[in-house]
Amino acid sequence: MPAASNDPDFLGLILENKGIILKICHLYCPDRQAREDLTQEIIYQLWRSGKSYNREHRFSTWMYRVALNVAISFYRGGRKQIHALPLLSFHLEIEDDPDEGEVYKERALWLQACIKELKEFDRALILLYFEEKSYKEISEVLGISETNVATRISRIKERLRQCILNHQK
Amino acid sequence: MDDLELGELWKQYNQKIERANILNLQSWVLQLQTFEYLQTEKARSRLNALSRWKKWMIALGLLWVLFLVFLVAGSLAWSKIFFVVSVAAILGFNIYAVLVYIYHTVLIAAIDNSESLMEVQEKTARLKTSTLQATRILFLQTPFYATFFWSFQWIRESPVSFWLITFPIALLLTVGAVWLYRNIHPGNSDKKWFKLLFSGKEWTSVIRAMDYLKEIEEYKKNNI
Repeated sequence: MPAASNDPDFLGLILENKGIILKICHLYCPDRQAREDLTQEIIYQLWRSGKSYNREHRFSTWMYRVALNVAISFYRGGRKQIHALPLLSFHLEIEDDPDEGEVYKERALWLQACIKELKEFDRALILLYFEEKSYKEISEVLGISETNVATRISRIKERLRQCILNHQK
Repeated sequence: MDDLELGELWKQYNQKIERANILNLQSWVLQLQTFEYLQTEKARSRLNALSRWKKWMIALGLLWVLFLVFLVAGSLAWSKIFFVVSVAAILGFNIYAVLVYIYHTVLIAAIDNSESLMEVQEKTARLKTSTLQATRILFLQTPFYATFFWSFQWIRESPVSFWLITFPIALLLTVGAVWLYRNIHPGNSDKKWFKLLFSGKEWTSVIRAMDYLKEIEEYKKNNI
């Protein structure tokens, strides 16, 4: 059954899964202002695409698909087509990373840096892999074969390992 | 470093991200009127990009088409046959280009972000490169700009200048237009002549979209 976008339950689902939006925005946007713009655009597009969501399927998979599409288009378009809304009351605010600058999770930050070096589709793929999505789900989100997913994942993991090792040296 | 360690690093990274809250997300999301406002605003801002440019082209194209219709209608006579046929041909190509642009604006509105990444990104890139489709069709009208002033009287009275100068020019333009029509496509985007022809600022996003299309194709085939 399709979901109505203005249904409070639907908006609640977006809220429950806000982690997906935050992760994607961090992977595709370098600065806070861009992240706020992208977050706003993703939520708007989720609401706009609400009619296409079928409750028989997993909400998070659908949400990944919409959010990643918006993020990749945003990333490729150099964000020129998206403008933050002028009214402050409508503007989303995202606080800075609380431990920005701390070194105790250095290796996790290296991983973040290494993922950001990947091409946009590979970034989406490894995000879904780390989020423990099955190869079938990943192939559906990306629109490539499961074999392609498997080959790419092992290739990307190897690249990430090498990249982290290089940071360690 | 094994898979487990990589996964562990991701979890640490995850915790860090999840602590960065969206401060007013809850109130923002639950304000339905915000969405209504957003819808209007975003519809306006989307018009700033591809769609608005295409709509301008449609408006200009329609004005040009109306002007050509007026010209053809006002010249229907056997003595002006070359003029009527040439302008009618130009009219035909322009109507086709306007229809292509209208079709594209409909497609832009129909892009559904909940389809797979490859589908959505490919459709978007194809729409951008579609400007080329209209351009290559419009090239076909070029020879008719060299024929509209022909007349039987002129051919009879100045056969030398007609057959040695005017006709070869039209023939050359025809060959050139057909060649461009056949060769303007994404597969030739790396050719020197292609880059020269589409070197302006307005073509940058089209060229980038063409490269992106190739990248998508390669990604699907698992070549990159």
